[in-house]
Amino acid sequence: MGNFFPRWTNWLPLKVAIAVVFIALGVSVGVAYYFTPKYTRVGYEPTQPVPFSHKIHAGQLGLDCRYCHSFGEASSHSNVPTNQTCFNCHGPGKGNIKSASPKLELVVKAHETGESIPWVKVHKAPDYVYFNHSAHLNRGISCVSCHGKINEMEVVRHDQPQSMGWCLDCHRNPEKNLRPLEHVTNLNFQPADLKRADFYKGLLDKKIPAGEIATVIGGASAKADDLDQILKLAETTYGKEVTQAEVGTQLKKHWQIQPPENCTACHR
Amino acid sequence: MKRNWIHPEEPQNAKRYWRSVSELERRESFLKDLGREFPAGDTLTDEERENGRRDFLKIMGASVGLMGLASCRRPLTTILPYTQHVEWMVPGKALMYATTMPCGGGATPLVVTTHEGRPTHVTGNPLHPLGGGIDSFAQASVLDLYDPERSQKPLGMGKDLSWAKANELLAAVSAEAKKSAGAGLGIVIGATSSPTYLRLLGEVKAAFPQAQLFKYEAAGAEGSAAASKAVLGAGVKPFVKLGSAMRILALDCDFLSLDPVAGEPISAFTKHRAKEAKTADMNRLYVLENRYTLTGGMADHRKAIPASLIPAAAALIALELGDASAKALADTAPAALKEWIAPAVRDLVDNKGKSVVLAGSRLGAEVHALVASINNALGAYGSTIELLQEAPAPEFGGFAELQAAVSGGQIKTLVSLTPASLYYDAPDAQGFAKLVSDKKVKLVHVGMLKNITAVQSALHIPAAHYLESWGDARAADGTYSIVQPMIAPLYDGASTIEVILALLGRKKLGPAESAAPEAGAPPAEDAAYTAVRDTFAATAGGLDETKWNFTLRDGFLKGSTSAKAAATPNVAVVAEFIAKAKPAAAPTDEALEVVLAPDASVFDGRYINNAWLQEAPDPVTKLTWENAAWIGSVTFRRLGLKDGQHVKISVGGAEIEIPAIEAPGHVTNSITLPLGYGQKGVGEVGSDRGVNAYALRKQPGIFVLGGAKIEVLPAMAELAITQEQNTMVGRAVYREGTLETFNKDTHFAQKTGMDAHIPENISFYKGQVGVKSDENPDGFDYETKHQWGMVIDLSKCIGCTACVIACQSENNIPVVGKDQVRKGRIMQWIRMDRYFAVAKWGKNEVAQQSTWAEDNPTPEQLENAEMVTQPLACQQCEAAPCETVCPVNATVHTDDGLNAMAYNRCIGTRYCANNCPYTARRFNWFDYNKRNPLIDTTVAGIVTVNNLYAGPLGAKKEDESLRLQRNPNVTVRMRGVIEKCTYCVQRLESAKILQKQVQRDSKNFRVPTDTVKTACQQSCSADAIVFGDLADNKSAVVKAKASPRDYQVLKYIGTRPRTSYLARLRNPNKEMPGAKDIAVWSNNQY
Repeated sequence: MGNFFPRWTNWLPLKVAIAVVFIALGVSVGVAYYFTPKYTRVGYEPTQPVPFSHKIHAGQLGLDCRYCHSFGEASSHSNVPTNQTCFNCHGPGKGNIKSASPKLELVVKAHETGESIPWVKVHKAPDYVYFNHSAHLNRGISCVSCHGKINEMEVVRHDQPQSMGWCLDCHRNPEKNLRPLEHVTNLNFQPADLKRADFYKGLLDKKIPAGEIATVIGGASAKADDLDQILKLAETTYGKEVTQAEVGTQLKKHWQIQPPENCTACHR
Repeated sequence: MKRNWIHPEEPQNAKRYWRSVSELERRESFLKDLGREFPAGDTLTDEERENGRRDFLKIMGASVGLMGLASCRRPLTTILPYTQHVEWMVPGKALMYATTMPCGGGATPLVVTTHEGRPTHVTGNPLHPLGGGIDSFAQASVLDLYDPERSQKPLGMGKDLSWAKANELLAAVSAEAKKSAGAGLGIVIGATSSPTYLRLLGEVKAAFPQAQLFKYEAAGAEGSAAASKAVLGAGVKPFVKLGSAMRILALDCDFLSLDPVAGEPISAFTKHRAKEAKTADMNRLYVLENRYTLTGGMADHRKAIPASLIPAAAALIALELGDASAKALADTAPAALKEWIAPAVRDLVDNKGKSVVLAGSRLGAEVHALVASINNALGAYGSTIELLQEAPAPEFGGFAELQAAVSGGQIKTLVSLTPASLYYDAPDAQGFAKLVSDKKVKLVHVGMLKNITAVQSALHIPAAHYLESWGDARAADGTYSIVQPMIAPLYDGASTIEVILALLGRKKLGPAESAAPEAGAPPAEDAAYTAVRDTFAATAGGLDETKWNFTLRDGFLKGSTSAKAAATPNVAVVAEFIAKAKPAAAPTDEALEVVLAPDASVFDGRYINNAWLQEAPDPVTKLTWENAAWIGSVTFRRLGLKDGQHVKISVGGAEIEIPAIEAPGHVTNSITLPLGYGQKGVGEVGSDRGVNAYALRKQPGIFVLGGAKIEVLPAMAELAITQEQNTMVGRAVYREGTLETFNKDTHFAQKTGMDAHIPENISFYKGQVGVKSDENPDGFDYETKHQWGMVIDLSKCIGCTACVIACQSENNIPVVGKDQVRKGRIMQWIRMDRYFAVAKWGKNEVAQQSTWAEDNPTPEQLENAEMVTQPLACQQCEAAPCETVCPVNATVHTDDGLNAMAYNRCIGTRYCANNCPYTARRFNWFDYNKRNPLIDTTVAGIVTVNNLYAGPLGAKKEDESLRLQRNPNVTVRMRGVIEKCTYCVQRLESAKILQKQVQRDSKNFRVPTDTVKTACQQSCSADAIVFGDLADNKSAVVKAKASPRDYQVLKYIGTRPRTSYLARLRNPNKEMPGAKDIAVWSNNQY
């Protein structure tokens, strides 16, 4: 009987073993990087050229997000404001607030030279992703759902993973994040803050039949004819306080929220 | 699973449509590539083959290493907001402006899409009275704006000059003219309808009374204007109402494409061609021409006759209508022509007041005079032709006068403002250039390209693009239309209006002086802007700001059409014109005729550096990137030529060498030479492409040259012709019939071939097809989703390829270059298929219907071939074969019925392209967007290869300016990715999101009926493309799908395409010779 295995096979087990070690190393390095928030850059907090504090402006002073990011509801981009917006308060001859502050030096310079302030991008979608702000803001998804509590950040931080899986989680279960339109830019909003009667009255005012509202709360068999019955039904189902599930399911149904899961919704 | 299509046996007795003679005759060269995804069996070139596996691994190893290093960190990117807010600007949203593209003597009303100040896409202006679709030149014009090789600096005899120097030289010209009261100053302009331009030229004439004005267009002739002036009177302009003309006879007049007549838009013509119910009310088009034009393809009756016989044909028609003075000329016409013309004229007469005869713009004055007489006899004036009174304009001399003035020494400075290039395209251009230099004439040239005239002129001024400048134009009906800038001049170019203003001393050209304006002070008014405003004020009767702003918004001034002229045609003068005409003899084997015609890609040569147009296949020959001599089958075979073989053509002492191609439908002993090619130094796109056919022309205004000799040369050219690429396994997918067939059975198209008896598609597999219901839970939801669909009306489609370019512009489709086109790698998503068909077959002249003749059609039969066109893009099949074979789910179906492509997911297996029965998918073999495919690169100083093959060693595309054209809403694809039509999904998604913005907390999600349009649909000047929501019963697409003419391509394979076609109708006149052979419907066709 001849040699079945040629000579080079003698070293094969060792080679395999070495290869396995390397592969294992590669896999662990890969997992350590790609499977952690590091890859999605959660927590990324670059220093901005101008030490603008969202905490002061949006939190303490209570400026609406849309005062500066004015086109979020109209466009795919939520714009970074022009210098003129800053100067509405800080500009000479306007509010003139702290206009001599060294923190504003770059803003003043930009105004003089016409050269833009190079704000560092925190949230970066790849080029093949076509995210649209207006589609979300106009349909009850708040800024806070994707950007976190910006109003509490001194320096803007990457708060959510913003990975494709994360997007799809919400697109599959939008009720977890839907809220009435007037609270979209209210970053401190809690469903419990809503008055249940007001919420349902708002829906009824929109000519949504009480019966339909009831079925969303209690399933196909639930019935209601007026606000009182709805409130009773809601209280028995969700408890005393208004919950996110309650708000979300109602809005999803009555605004016909069907978040697309097609590739073309985001990739073109 | 790869599906093997079981195509039915090709019937032996059916009408056949074919793309090339090789296909028709089943030549080996065609059969070997049939059904292949890419034509050359081995798609590797020598260079590619040499790059063996080892090299590949080495390169890959290195690049993986580099990639690893590069991708450790995400690059830091910044956001740069505006410092001062820009009016109307919403970052991320496109802004639309109405403007006008001046073209020839008319205007193309446009709406321009701009993204953050960059014009990216143009489309027709639907508000304009003559708005609608646009031609491919207008569609592609946005690329010219960003052409990195545009002329950017003033030149003096080819050397760069500063703007200061240029201004100085121009001021010297102006001062000189002032001193001499204009003596010695000559100005040549192109065709124009711009009131401001003409007014300023009038002012030049007033300031410098002895200055001479000339008008010259490379492919223009003065015959029409001369005849019109004599017959109709000065300043009277005919306006053809195509929508009222039920019988049209075109004499070598490609009015649907390259030779437009001033009149109603093409859609007015095509609206009478689409019928949905039995009717007799359909227009009829007769065409006489020597070669196939798109108008000839649309004709109900077309006869190929030598262009030299057109005057005789016109005389014959006039004679039939009782104009005895035409008898002598008419008698020179051959008998066959008489037989053809007599019944046609009877038909025109029977429809008196609803008929019109059109003559090509390059024909002589005698033809135009005869046609005026004919139209008068047909009662066309006042019914199908309206006579409009134009505003008075200065007198212009023609090219002959210019030549005389230069040789007579009357001109010392010649200012060329015409888009033509005098030293390239003028009759006897070299002689003219020599004359100019001999007479020491200082040539001032204004143009967008660094062509031969620019380089050899004493002063060349880069011209501004129409998207960069202020101006105006009058549309065909006289509507005052505005040209407004979308962007500041990229290279400081000057418009023709600005050059005139500079001559008048009212403007300094070049970059604005950098003296910063005082804060808050209004910017200094631009002289051109002021001039246009002045004209507007004169036109609108006062400078009303509101009216002005409305004009800027709409792109035109409402109610500014020209007044009707009170002219009556003076037919008596026609006889004089006829007397001057010399009877042209028909060409013979020994003395051929040469017809010089504008080209569908470069027109007269002015679009030579436009890569989109260069790569768009010629609608008739499917040739890209160059020109070739079109020769009819009889002559072609008599000479024993092969496609691409060089021939030497000599006429009157001049000769050119050019590749020849066989052109079905082309008349015997006639050669058509497309103009505009063979230019030098214009840039990497246009330089040295094709052959300059102007070289044969010695006299102005003559485009038909007799007595030509042809000599066959052994050399073969490698032409990039796309007609045999992306075939559908040789299946004819075109359906047409006559109006008679339709009236007999309106559903004929649906009863063709197997369509008549395919059983209902019932499958055990309940996939994502059909309408969602209880039985079909996976079907498409028509209740809560949009369901997109498209219908293309073949009765209307003229095949002009504007849609191809519109798609390219909208979807960031790259240009691949001639070599890649030859390999079948053209990227255009829409393929404009062009088929020929012959009714009579073989030597025995059997009807194609009755038998599959063993022998091939004779060359004479090929001369009478019919031509049809069919645009074909992804059909968005519901049961899409491509999707099932994708291993990575990169192509999947959306719930609104699109066959989506996720480019970032595609790994480039090309299985999908392989499995597409419509061959509608395109593959990025290279990084066409990053690596310039048009240049060669020397690698390591040793070998020179095409830049694409140099890989990472090649030159990267650094033309920043071309990148500005890109649509930001569409991914720019990289190498190794499949791409295809997605019904402009970016527009659909934007429309859906806009609806959400508007509706907010309501549940009305449906996009308003027919508000979203695809790019191809918008561009179509024939209104042939209908797109919309199939789930919306009010939409036009639902109505179109209900048409009895509706059919699906390759229906029998069960792909359920969302795009369907409406069969074409032709309306032959029974009394015409050969009428029964026209558009024969074949029941057996598959």
